[in-house]
Amino acid sequence: MSLTIPAREPDGVLVPPNRHTAPPAPPFSWRSDRAGLSVLGVGVFVAVLLVPFISASPYLISILTSAMIYVMLALGLNVVVGYAGLLDLGYIAFFAVGAYTSGILTTKFGFTMVAAIPVTIAACILAGIVIGGPTLRLRSDYLAIVTLGFGEIIRITANNLDITGGPSGIHGIPTWAFFGWDFSKGLSIGGVFFNSKIVFYYFVAVVVVVLGVIGISRLSRGKMGRAWKAVRDDEDAAEAMGINTYFTKITAYIIGAVWAGLAGQLMAAHLSAISPNSFQFLYSALILMAVVLGGMGSTPGVIIGALFVSLAPEFLREFSDWRYLLFGVLLVVTMIFRPKGIWPATSAFPWSRDKRLGTGPKPVEQGLDPRDVADLEAAEDGAGRRDHHDH
Amino acid sequence: MAQVLLNGLFVGSFYALVALGYSMVYGIIKLLNFAHGDLYMLGAYIGFVVLTGIPGAAEVASVPALLVLVMIAMLTTGLFGVAIERVAYRPLRWAPRLSVLITAVGMSFTLEYGIRQIFGASPKAYPLRISGGLVSVLGAQISVAQISLMLVAALLMAVLAFYVNRTREGRAMRAIALDSRASTLMGIDVNRTISRVFFVGSALAGAAGVMAGAFYGSIDFMMGFSIGLKAFTAAVIGGIGNLYGAMLGGLTLGLLEAVGTAWVGGEWRDVFSFACLILFLTFRPTGLLGARVVERM
Amino acid sequence: MLAAAACAITVTACSGGVAGGPQATTSGGPLKFGMLAPMSGSESAFGDYLKNGASLAVAEINAAGGVNGSQIELIVEDDGCDPTTAVAAANKLVSQGVVASVGGYCSGATLPTLPIFLEAKVPMVIPAANSNALVEAGQANVFLINGTGTQQAQAAVSFATKSKAARIFILDDSTDYSVDLADSFEEQAKAANLTVAGRATLTPKEKDYSGEANKITTSKADFVYFTGYYQEGALLNRQSKDAGYDGIFLVGDGAVDASFAKITGADYTKNVFGTFTQTPDMLEGADNWIASYKAKFGAEPGPYTTQAYDAVRVMAEGIKQAGSTDMDKVVAALNALDGFATFSGPLKFTDKGTLSSGGFVIVTIGPAGTFILHDDLLG
Repeated sequence: MSLTIPAREPDGVLVPPNRHTAPPAPPFSWRSDRAGLSVLGVGVFVAVLLVPFISASPYLISILTSAMIYVMLALGLNVVVGYAGLLDLGYIAFFAVGAYTSGILTTKFGFTMVAAIPVTIAACILAGIVIGGPTLRLRSDYLAIVTLGFGEIIRITANNLDITGGPSGIHGIPTWAFFGWDFSKGLSIGGVFFNSKIVFYYFVAVVVVVLGVIGISRLSRGKMGRAWKAVRDDEDAAEAMGINTYFTKITAYIIGAVWAGLAGQLMAAHLSAISPNSFQFLYSALILMAVVLGGMGSTPGVIIGALFVSLAPEFLREFSDWRYLLFGVLLVVTMIFRPKGIWPATSAFPWSRDKRLGTGPKPVEQGLDPRDVADLEAAEDGAGRRDHHDH
Repeated sequence: MAQVLLNGLFVGSFYALVALGYSMVYGIIKLLNFAHGDLYMLGAYIGFVVLTGIPGAAEVASVPALLVLVMIAMLTTGLFGVAIERVAYRPLRWAPRLSVLITAVGMSFTLEYGIRQIFGASPKAYPLRISGGLVSVLGAQISVAQISLMLVAALLMAVLAFYVNRTREGRAMRAIALDSRASTLMGIDVNRTISRVFFVGSALAGAAGVMAGAFYGSIDFMMGFSIGLKAFTAAVIGGIGNLYGAMLGGLTLGLLEAVGTAWVGGEWRDVFSFACLILFLTFRPTGLLGARVVERM
Repeated sequence: MLAAAACAITVTACSGGVAGGPQATTSGGPLKFGMLAPMSGSESAFGDYLKNGASLAVAEINAAGGVNGSQIELIVEDDGCDPTTAVAAANKLVSQGVVASVGGYCSGATLPTLPIFLEAKVPMVIPAANSNALVEAGQANVFLINGTGTQQAQAAVSFATKSKAARIFILDDSTDYSVDLADSFEEQAKAANLTVAGRATLTPKEKDYSGEANKITTSKADFVYFTGYYQEGALLNRQSKDAGYDGIFLVGDGAVDASFAKITGADYTKNVFGTFTQTPDMLEGADNWIASYKAKFGAEPGPYTTQAYDAVRVMAEGIKQAGSTDMDKVVAALNALDGFATFSGPLKFTDKGTLSSGGFVIVTIGPAGTFILHDDLLG
């Protein structure tokens, strides 16, 4: 619905089906752009893996690991917001569900981290269904407030219960272990001793991120991904094309939830301690910023966005008093001068002039659009169903 | 129980004042103005500056003095609201709605941490305090100060309702909320009207901020965050975009919270109100007054 | 992989890489003391108090010739009261080669930093965080200079007994420090045969606590113990008195602050007491201390300023006694300290690294609006 960026149709015009439901029709330059992207991706991957060989100060590795976790979260939220167009202001809640589920299982019930993975996934699916089930039928603004409320509920509940360790949270969360060998012992490969578990978390996080990038980009080009974008761009048209919009939305929502839960588990093991303070609304907002700054629906964009929101405060530490102020100002300025984000989803590269997708018609005036009023009225019918075009 | 309800109504009238601005802005440009709660904070700090800047101003602790202060804060906060719209939101009128929302979050950060840089992070004691004798109403204690603040809030809301329903400018606002293009064709200056909405909404939040500062006695740079979320909730409960809905939603949320605190404990207060909200939206997604087609701002 | 192989061969040349191991602390130059404090986020108000207190101590020690001939350099990093930020900040301190940690405000954010400092062989004197979880972590290099909840609760219970409280109402603010203290107090009060009329928790950072005030009056309590911070404490005190409560209002050390009286209002300071460690103005020669603090920072000392000040001094003393910055030697020296003068009285650590005596006294609001000594609980 109206969250989306470029392609909204003028009043009353039926959407040409192939624009939204077919895969982005490749003009010949598209293929080379994509190849260029892949080369770039592999290059970045190798470079990132090499970082610890150049400098492995605990500080650098620690902030890079946190940055990777942010990237995971941003990738997941990108599915929800960027692809499916669902505004989630409480995304950190699923991160908390994952972190707390694994933390409780490992410290109180003697699970290993690996054994906790299926339970974490199940818990996140459950949470996704509980919160998404009733609310995904609503208008996006209501979805935003419900997810925000849900995020706060999770944080406050974690703060108030005994099993979650109350306000000090859970500490002494064990590291990952496979078949009797655990990360904290380190490993010697080819004469190089990997001495710290932190390096391992970094490698694990990088590999998981890469798998996520591949998985999500495949998913987004597949049938499901096209359905997400169709629903995002025009829910009614999508429904008319035979897409089960509710199912499509809840799938995106649950995939996002599970992905955040896994990130949460990784973070719990990385930090060895979690507390409710890590799951404040501020962090949901930060991840949303990462997605929007980078460019909604654009995988390279959200990665850059996530690196920015997680690393900028670290590099601005010298101005620790000033950093959030700078951050706020920077956000406003960026949004005004480059509102589609650093790396718009419509271009293969931020600098390339060839657009991979048509930019579509000029976006209508947001907010002043009469259909938004129709929107409101449709919702007020109590049906909770939008109807843009009969107005 | 009467005490609980009375406390709830009192808090609710603050929520309502802030929710009004939220709802008006949403109604006219479909923007969830995240920085709105921070205008409440800004209003409180403007009052603080006036009180500490003018020698002797803090000594005249009376309701008329407070009213003058509220006026000054309303005017200044309103101008700030207009400036924020002009600088941060207007350039993005054509941008995706989510980008504007992010700008609003950025604006909220800017206001909070800007104030923190100027005044420091620790809470400030408010120089002007209003207090008064206690009155017994139906077995509940309420102070004269509380009664006067609720009256001021009610007065502001009545003035607002008159402004929106009975004046030319108010009619322009309602017209834009209904159909902005048609309003342009009818010769309504859309930009100016949007500025007016920001002015009025921000001024109400500023008034609430000063009143909270003078009643509770402490202000801090994060005080707008929590009430911003609550006001958002209140606006949605009442039916976002609806003027009376915001008022009703604010009072309802205040009551719900008061009952929740008494019933399940203060640490669950926010869980209680958000859970009510979620149930509410599931069963009546348009809010209390959403269905009726009244002055949707 | 070439780079890695090169590293493996010439280890010293790239000691920063994975092959390098923890970075060796530089010899010579100033002794770097690291401090984690919340400079941003919801608790940022307290960060400056900690930072200023520690800077004052560092300045004094340096002016007096430093420690074993070396000057101290204080490095403050923001932990944002958040585990992720705290871990990054702790790693940053370790990477910068700090020899001692004198920070730690939020227990939740301090906990995950303990293994990092232990691995880097850095002794810790924690000025403010005092959750039992820190003690339970069982690390020998950790010392808590803030009295624990148990000790403070003892002081509160003996004051309640002395003032013949009939019905006690306990309130915390759902932060770790506050819940710990309230739990200890409830347990000890029941053991001392006091009647606990009610227990409640409030949501911090709000303005309206009339619901809690109402609970106090309906419980018919004549003694309230609030274990949170001054802003909430002051608001609650005022609102409970507006609701008709006229008994004793006792607050924990987090709420003992000059701002309490300003926020709660001059008419509402009657019957307000606090459990607190000795404040500067109760100690001999402390006028100078306050004066120099004000001169340096242009503000009054706040909560945990004295603890941060003492943390630096204790750590410096430990290093001085040990004659080195080696963790084991410093830990042994800290354990051997006996009678080192601090604001909380002569210092001696227990075998768990906590203070052997909390040194808590009862304070009340004086005519000037600041807290002054009421009862030292010795008689």
